[in-house]
Amino acid sequence: MRSISWRSPTRHSRLQIVLAAIAIAVAVALPVILVSVGGGVSAHEIAQLQQTGYVISVSSAGMHGVSLSHGLVSEFNAIPRVAASSPVLSVPIDIYAGGITPTAVLAEGVIPDQFTPTLGPSEAGLFPSPLPLGDPTDLIHYANGTYAGPTTLDVLISTPFEAASGIRVGQSIVLSPSANQSLGTAYRVTGVFGVPPSLLGPTGAFAVIVPLSDLQVLTGWARTSATPSSLLDASDTVQVALSGTAENDPSQINAVAAQIQSLVPYYGVTTQLQQAQQLENANAILTGFYLALSSVGLAVGLIFLAIVLIRRVESERRSIGIRRALGLPPRWIAVGILARGEALAAAGIVGGTALGVIVISILAAYGTGAVKQAASLATYDPILLGLIAAGVLALACLASGLAARSAMRLDIVEALR
Amino acid sequence: MNPLSPAPTIEIVRVWKRYLPSTTPVDALRDISLTLEPGERVSVAGPSGCGKTTLMNMLGLLDTPTAGEVRWNGRPVGGRSERERAHLRLTGIGFIFQRFYLLPTMTARENIELPMRAAGVDRAERAHRADELLEEVGLAPRAGSFPHQLSGGEEQRVAIARALANRPGLLLADEPTGELDSAATETVLALIDSVGSASGATVVTVTHNPEVAARSHRHITMRDGRVVDDRREE
Repeated sequence: MRSISWRSPTRHSRLQIVLAAIAIAVAVALPVILVSVGGGVSAHEIAQLQQTGYVISVSSAGMHGVSLSHGLVSEFNAIPRVAASSPVLSVPIDIYAGGITPTAVLAEGVIPDQFTPTLGPSEAGLFPSPLPLGDPTDLIHYANGTYAGPTTLDVLISTPFEAASGIRVGQSIVLSPSANQSLGTAYRVTGVFGVPPSLLGPTGAFAVIVPLSDLQVLTGWARTSATPSSLLDASDTVQVALSGTAENDPSQINAVAAQIQSLVPYYGVTTQLQQAQQLENANAILTGFYLALSSVGLAVGLIFLAIVLIRRVESERRSIGIRRALGLPPRWIAVGILARGEALAAAGIVGGTALGVIVISILAAYGTGAVKQAASLATYDPILLGLIAAGVLALACLASGLAARSAMRLDIVEALR
Repeated sequence: MNPLSPAPTIEIVRVWKRYLPSTTPVDALRDISLTLEPGERVSVAGPSGCGKTTLMNMLGLLDTPTAGEVRWNGRPVGGRSERERAHLRLTGIGFIFQRFYLLPTMTARENIELPMRAAGVDRAERAHRADELLEEVGLAPRAGSFPHQLSGGEEQRVAIARALANRPGLLLADEPTGELDSAATETVLALIDSVGSASGATVVTVTHNPEVAARSHRHITMRDGRVVDDRREE
């Protein structure tokens, strides 16, 4: 038996109910999509971050980056539990491969025997080991800051660049810091490396790797003989890998980070844990923003629901009047109206969640570019989706309460007239 | 079939009812005083607009007086909450309306079971009682029919069954045959007579029809919101 019947007397009324459910469904689908895709991308980025081989990075906000990089390597490596310290300098350069037209690439300067231990499991297979860049230590050329030793002039090129340019291992190419071939230096291609997949960040597909000191000299980030006391010998970051169980132990990571920080108090020292936490914080802020954005649609849907329910009470004045005249408890009638509102909201939640999942699936299957990739990373957090559902049910209760109040205020004699 | 709530003594004491429409105020009841004894069969007659239905609404606790007091077994009902009044209506009063007022989305059986369900009667007892009432009003075969599938006379018989569902001590019938043909009128009146006698409930019937009024033992006549005649048959 129905306390308030669903057998609606008019087609118009049924249409209103269906539209209200659709409005709620659309309002629910929006946060489901935004939160699931945003959360998925964030979780993926955090997972990527946690898969890197290094656990501490040292960086500087200054224009010259981290100075005296070669010296810092030996200082950091002297700290117990540090496996390797890899300075990395990234500079855009031009490459001439026989023609007069240069190709812009991202050049990365590394110290070969420090770079390899900082690669994560997913990256390790992309690089030859050891890196075929002549001097693994990069100290022959660097020679205590004089850059007086012999250079190897070896370069590794990325597979996408290799495929696009036709350059092969053994070939000679000219690396120039600007679009002027005469300022360049001839290098021999000694190997190739793969590019790790990147979903949302820049791909860096056209890239080369050279010894750090070579790139510093080529681009002007080395200490010069004219100013031997200057601070250069720059890199962008120094990535630090730990050994054994230390790389997975937050307390040991933090202890080493603190020791490094004490050595370079003027640089930023961050752990991967902190970076992951920052990403999670950013994701939490974004999720809040998504929910705030979605609340606008939700408010519209629930106002519509309240209007539909109040109109329904109006159109059922007689029926409600009869029930009240018969002495049905007011709470019974109110609960019937609330149940109707909650049922509509529940239908909207189920429909909206399904709609969100369908939209995400369609984007993952038929979308393009970053949208497709982001959709394919979507994760459905049951707690968050549950909170959205609970919020919608609570607001629907409020909307239904307005209608129930209206029913309770109905004058029985007027309603029966 | 005894009433669940014993037939009450109902007193209407110096009751006024003033409606305040947008134009001039209307006094639907003017200083009315009545006492209904348990088990009485009362008819209320009078021209249209004389206040019969307003009086019924007062007796049925659907409306509240502007002045004066309604007492149920000596206790004023004016100070009771809507919840208490609703409970009194549900368990103590049976309503039979001129326009039947069955719920259109419920079957005859569901309409009859509704007050019992609201009163907390268990499912089995509800079903048994509904069967009993449907049998009594001669509509057992139409139990699953919706109101729009029933004739006017059948609808009113369902309404009578619904009014009796919780075995009330007071049965209020407002023009119960007003929308029925003569054959259906006779059936419905006979039924009200029968259930009234069998239950021992107080039965108050508002009517224009002298034949209907003649079935009562006490005759109240109203005019302009006042009781102008109140006779008991010996």
